[in-house]
Amino acid sequence: MKIAEIVQELNLAVWAAKASLDRGVTGGYASDLLSDVLANSKEGNLWITLQIHQNIVGVASMKGLAGIILVNGREPERETVEKAETENIPLMVSEMPAFELVGRLYNLGVGGT
Amino acid sequence: MTIAEIAKILEAEVIVGSDLLNEEIKMGCGSDLMSDVLSFVKSEAILLTGLTNPQVVRTAEMADLAAICFVRGKKPGDETIRLAESKNIPLLTTPLPMFESCGRLWREGLAGCSEHKKSNT
Amino acid sequence: MVSDNRISKVQELIYEIGVGEVMQTDLVTVDPRTPMSQLRAILREKRISGTPVVDGDKLVGIISIEDFIRWLADREEDCPIAEKMSKDVCTIYADEPLTQAVNVFQRFGYGRLAVVDRQDKRLLGIITKGDIVRGLLNKLEIHHVAEEEVYRHRVKHFFEDILADKVVLLFQYNVVGQNFTRAGEGASRLKATLQRLGLHPQIVRRVSIATYEAEMNLIIYTDGGSIRVRVEPNEIFVVVKDLGPGIPDIEKVMQPGYSTAPEWVRELGFGAGMGLCNIKKCATKMELKSTVGKGTQLNIRISVDNEAKSEDS
Repeated sequence: MKIAEIVQELNLAVWAAKASLDRGVTGGYASDLLSDVLANSKEGNLWITLQIHQNIVGVASMKGLAGIILVNGREPERETVEKAETENIPLMVSEMPAFELVGRLYNLGVGGT
Repeated sequence: MTIAEIAKILEAEVIVGSDLLNEEIKMGCGSDLMSDVLSFVKSEAILLTGLTNPQVVRTAEMADLAAICFVRGKKPGDETIRLAESKNIPLLTTPLPMFESCGRLWREGLAGCSEHKKSNT
Repeated sequence: MVSDNRISKVQELIYEIGVGEVMQTDLVTVDPRTPMSQLRAILREKRISGTPVVDGDKLVGIISIEDFIRWLADREEDCPIAEKMSKDVCTIYADEPLTQAVNVFQRFGYGRLAVVDRQDKRLLGIITKGDIVRGLLNKLEIHHVAEEEVYRHRVKHFFEDILADKVVLLFQYNVVGQNFTRAGEGASRLKATLQRLGLHPQIVRRVSIATYEAEMNLIIYTDGGSIRVRVEPNEIFVVVKDLGPGIPDIEKVMQPGYSTAPEWVRELGFGAGMGLCNIKKCATKMELKSTVGKGTQLNIRISVDNEAKSEDS
């Protein structure tokens, strides 16, 4: 499944790297602990988190993640948006809490293991 | 959804609260930020988290959460277990990652905290 | 965690609780005239290894799987259970204390005892070691709940005994800085106290959450401080004070997501820059005053009348 389809299905606001939304997603990873994401996420995963500081872009780029969705309507810091733009990491925001967003992604066929 | 049903769906082990398996859980929440939990989560929810420190139990105590499930096979230390026992808060641990755990529970019909309309006491 | 007073409580309870209170009463029994050939089906269907033999409502014996096997091995003809059962049944009276049952189990090594009525020797139930343990645990739980009720009762009386136009209660909790494992003990004790005072659960929840966040801030950013809580009939006023280092830019720390927390704090699930917003959300009114080098004071007012301002906000 492509990020663009997910953006449309789940009504996500895109904050950065609009040009890279045709990227495919291999699965989902939900975590607010950077060390956990560094250790356990897989390439092409879509990352669901509450963290908004710019380190999330560094982690996503290092692990080759497909993109980041911030939950609970959290707005990213300006530096985070800029960094996501330069690193070409799609950055989206959902109004939903992580639990519900993940539930819907799961129903769309994005796997978690 | 009861704690027993959740344990089954998540292939989880019950660490604390084997006498509370029939307690009803109304909502689910997945988070590793305790302030987020304190701010958004409603009482009678189960918290899914990758953290196992005693503050997770404290957070559940303050926010009147019904249970905690640790994800990714994380096992809490003695201090966390003791605190949960003294506060009567059930602890579970599932080998599944957070994403898979939330996905399964939501698909099986457990609501999220913003979806659960009727606020409880 | 079993404390010493819980153990002595158990010792008291095994003398207090009667066998009749914990025994199983939904019994499977057989009539003495039942043929032995039917016994296996009964035992297998009910998944039991033995059963009391009852004539009318009088206990006349007990028949077990061992008796059945012996009968099979001897290749005897079918006969009524009455001929093969053991008639010498060890019983206990329903009004005897649990300690008596424990003694019998210890002395004879039985797995179960038949419980009978002292007067008419009628079979009332069966008791196993598991029933005793379950009964004790239930009683302990009830005692625990009852204790909390006693506290609430005492607090209510305490208020009735005070002669004044207005009663104000003041609690103080001291918080040690940098001690992450003990963090939240103050808020936890405050919560228990407010519950005993019989405050509305939503009010208790809001005060607890706000105080807990404030306590975390003291622990993460300062060398410790104090939490003072003033409880009045229509308002709870929490004052959190520390002696430094102080906050340089108050406007900035009030922004959601702004945080100066070190990485180790974030990895423990705190310091995401939401604590103060969270406190504000729980409070009816919040004030933050700080002087760099001197210290910080956080005032949290939660009005009790306004129960509607709940977690829906």
